[in-house]
Amino acid sequence: MNYVIIGGSAAGVTAAETIRKNDKKAVITLISDETFPLYSRCLLTYLIAGSIDESKLCFRDKDFYKENNIKTYLGKKAVSIDRKKKSVSLEGGTKVPYDKLLIATGATPKTENIPGVNKKRVFTIRRIDDARAIIKILDNVNKAAVLGGGLIGLRDAYALRQKNKEVTVVVKSQQVLSQMVDADAARIIATLLEKNGIKIMTGAAAKEILGKDTAEGILTDGGKRLDCQLVIIGKGVNPNTQLASAAAIKVEEGIVVDEFLKTSDKDIFAAGDVAQTYDVARDAKRINALWPSAVEQGQIAGLNMLGKNVSYEGSLSMNSVDFFGLASISMGVTKPKEEGYEIISRIRKNEYKKIVLKENRIVGMVLVGDVGSAGVISILIRNKIDVSSIKGKLLDERFDYAKIMPLVKKFKDKFRQEEYQDTIMTF
Amino acid sequence: MKTKTKDIKIYCDITRCVGCKSCEIACAIEHSKSKNIFAAVKETPLPKRRVETQNIGSKIISLHCQHCEDAPCVKACMSGALSKDEKTRATIHDKEKCVGCWMCVMVCPFGAIIRDAESHIAVKCDLCPDRDDPSTGSGLRYACVAACPTDALFAGTKEEFEKNLSKKKGNSKH
Ligand SMILES: Cc1cc2nc3c(=O)[nH]c(=O)nc-3n(C[C@H](O)[C@H](O)[C@H](O)COP(=O)(O)OP(=O)(O)OC[C@H]3O[C@@H](n4cnc5c(N)ncnc54)[C@H](O)[C@@H]3O)c2cc1C
Repeated sequence: MNYVIIGGSAAGVTAAETIRKNDKKAVITLISDETFPLYSRCLLTYLIAGSIDESKLCFRDKDFYKENNIKTYLGKKAVSIDRKKKSVSLEGGTKVPYDKLLIATGATPKTENIPGVNKKRVFTIRRIDDARAIIKILDNVNKAAVLGGGLIGLRDAYALRQKNKEVTVVVKSQQVLSQMVDADAARIIATLLEKNGIKIMTGAAAKEILGKDTAEGILTDGGKRLDCQLVIIGKGVNPNTQLASAAAIKVEEGIVVDEFLKTSDKDIFAAGDVAQTYDVARDAKRINALWPSAVEQGQIAGLNMLGKNVSYEGSLSMNSVDFFGLASISMGVTKPKEEGYEIISRIRKNEYKKIVLKENRIVGMVLVGDVGSAGVISILIRNKIDVSSIKGKLLDERFDYAKIMPLVKKFKDKFRQEEYQDTIMTF
Repeated sequence: MKTKTKDIKIYCDITRCVGCKSCEIACAIEHSKSKNIFAAVKETPLPKRRVETQNIGSKIISLHCQHCEDAPCVKACMSGALSKDEKTRATIHDKEKCVGCWMCVMVCPFGAIIRDAESHIAVKCDLCPDRDDPSTGSGLRYACVAACPTDALFAGTKEEFEKNLSKKKGNSKH
């Protein structure tokens, strides 16, 4: 069998690894338009902040491709898929035939639709090249503006602040992290950021990026001028679906896949930021553009390319950040818009906890400060467990695994993995 | 020698655990520089335990990383710090690669990965690598098991654990 994978990141690499583990003889070819192999893009802000160097960027050994006998085309873009002939064309004309194909092309950052975005020193951060270009000019930057007060924007700002830059974050809504937390929690985080020298401008948007060829500042919709030598747009991503749509594979928001991560073509699979999969907490199709989801999907897609018929349980939106030692974790539905949800929350100084329930099942959480119970809650979300019996304990400081053991015992069919069963053998 | 393999792990007999925290203390000492309780308490950073006694009602469990076969933490780790050891099937954590993003804390269903605020990296059960000596007998191989005064902690295969349980039951009847 001839397996071809487009994309050499979380989803693609995990799929290749999974296929190799299960089939020593398979011919595996991986295509990536990037030349730096096996780096984790999640670490790019850490690289910019100077907390790691390039040698720490890789999430697999340098020799991974060789050791696993995976043929690679690095620095080569796949330009089209011929589904009839079952081959992928690369730029330069090379044709790579496949029996089973995985599209793991990931996503591209959203940009702003304002005058000046194409000027020099205006960046998004997605690829190693972006980070290197920013690092290169950093010595000549005193002030920077970050457009976007979501998780990505704040991460970008945090990295620049660690390099002692004067950073202003421009946030459209009235609070930071508006997709993730409510105003109370946002205040805890924003206060800490400001105390550490990051300026936050809420209720404002950039109207124009100023300067000749090179960014020299931004103009806000309120008419305020902010001088800066670097602009970073940090606003979420769009899936790279072009290859798929050009080949008439079904695409909605992302590439549409079934529970086996198969696209509308039975020999083509999709995984990672490019795939629109089932969301466990929302009970709907959605892209969760996240590292863990990309890895899980890469694994499942790999198994199904091998013909193993493993269904994907679904993904969960989640994220974890740590700014100046304050950890925050959010997961699932954190700000329900419709009726029918129950919210329990508690706010203390530098600590916030919120659990969102629907019909006695947890569908979302936000933890700021004390995040120790995040993993235990995550499994209750994932397994859609009725938590009526422990509702009163959910916000406790000592809400730990032991507290859910009665539920593990009661819902054995949902906690099937041996590891859970091992813990309740004598319980 | 009961070094971790796919089949060997540390079990807790909840009927015997009294929550004395001997496992926690032994674990912290094992992961100190000096490996001596009196010196360990003065070390900076303070040595961290990777096992925790947790209670549910009157029952208590000594819980640590279950070294899951299909480990959620490994899949969530965005820096490549967490991985599965091909030979022993242990879930191993590379301190050098950890950036303290807490993605593992976010997904570990057992809550077995601890956030070390001082060093700003994750800390978890590493199966006492410094005790990895073939001459060390089964229980002694792991600091927590060796320190357990009530025989609640047990290292071995599941069958051995089950056998041990029925043996202990038999004993307590007489
Ligand atoms: C700065 C930053 C921080 C992040 N932090 C977090 C975090 O904390 N937690 C989290 O869960 N996620 C985080 N993410 C998101 C995470 O990186 C992604 O979810 C993950 O990388 C998705 O993996 P993927 O394999 O689907 O796609 P990608 O990582 O996007 O990889 C796709 C690859 O395919 C290549 N490609 C695309 N089209 C073609 C083509 N036509 N031909 C050849 N190659 C092609 C791309 O160049 C790329 O190398 C972060 C991302 C960034 C940029």
